[in-house]
Amino acid sequence: MSSNVLIADTGRQTGSPSSRRLRREDRIPAVVYGLGMTPISISVNRRDLRAALSGPSGVNTVLDLTVEGTVYPAIVKEMQRHPVRRTVSHIDFLQVNLDVEIVVNVPVHLNGEAKEVALHNGLVDLQLSELQVRTTPRTIPDSIEIDISAMTVNDVITVGQIAVPAGCSFAHEDDQPVVTVTILRTAVEEETAAEGEDGEAAAESDGEASDDSSGEASGDDAE
Amino acid sequence: MLMPRKVAHRKHHRGRTRGVAKAGTELSFGEYGIQALEPGWITARQIEAARIAMTRSIKRGGKVWINVFPDKPVTKKPAETRMGSGKGNPEFWVAVVRPGRILFELSFPDEAQAKIAMNKAIQKLPIRARILTRDEEI
Repeated sequence: MSSNVLIADTGRQTGSPSSRRLRREDRIPAVVYGLGMTPISISVNRRDLRAALSGPSGVNTVLDLTVEGTVYPAIVKEMQRHPVRRTVSHIDFLQVNLDVEIVVNVPVHLNGEAKEVALHNGLVDLQLSELQVRTTPRTIPDSIEIDISAMTVNDVITVGQIAVPAGCSFAHEDDQPVVTVTILRTAVEEETAAEGEDGEAAAESDGEASDDSSGEASGDDAE
Repeated sequence: MLMPRKVAHRKHHRGRTRGVAKAGTELSFGEYGIQALEPGWITARQIEAARIAMTRSIKRGGKVWINVFPDKPVTKKPAETRMGSGKGNPEFWVAVVRPGRILFELSFPDEAQAKIAMNKAIQKLPIRARILTRDEEI
């Protein structure tokens, strides 16, 4: 668990125009709630927030949110971004009890290279880029590492097969797939085309039609 | 080319494209995406051309998602026709796109090659667009 101090201002006006003015001053409108407290509308400095969330835990960093002298241990529950500018436009902070379990999204990282899959023109497909982890704020893992070097064609890594970090449990069903192997359509079509080449050579009259179909296949993808 | 199988109304009004995209502004499937920066109509042909440019560039080992669907019919009057006599015939299909909309998503192991492929796809589009990745600054 990594923790950082973030100082917030209170007394901001709510609503779009005043929030827009705040953003122009490089401050991000936010709200803090949780554990039965009355929600407080706050604003935080964008640079301070960036510094606070730039640690190894990223957005799962437990922040010491200082509001009018009171320190709230909090995590980022939701971060809204502008659809075009991609800047953060609003943040929800959730006050947490450091000893009570919460559910957080932890990013999944793939380690190694699946050589067997690459040999068969397959693609290692990450089905879930984040896993929901039930844990206390003190023991939130930075990331979940999955080794894919031993994966072969038709292999599936499910939630139940992933090593659970200490003090954590997954909030998914055990049989939910996380990493799968997709055999690309082009690869399958090439194989079938290669098999059918002998037959096509015998029937020379259909040569042109077969050329057209193979041309389309080469431009296709793995959807 | 993409087009609806069945529609409630054969001919649509042109409409206005104001504001920014409300939905479909985050990456949902792939590691990279192509995001529209301008409003516009993207035809089924342009979507197909962009898809083909991208898939031919990455050759194999990648996966492409198309996040927009051309569900709006565009009509045209035949050439050298006098005005009047009703609305023209449906000629092609377009997807209405607002700024911020993710048009395509791509999964590919090599980031540099993925970006080359997506730039080739952007060349086929009638609007300005950019590449979006999952690692975003605050």
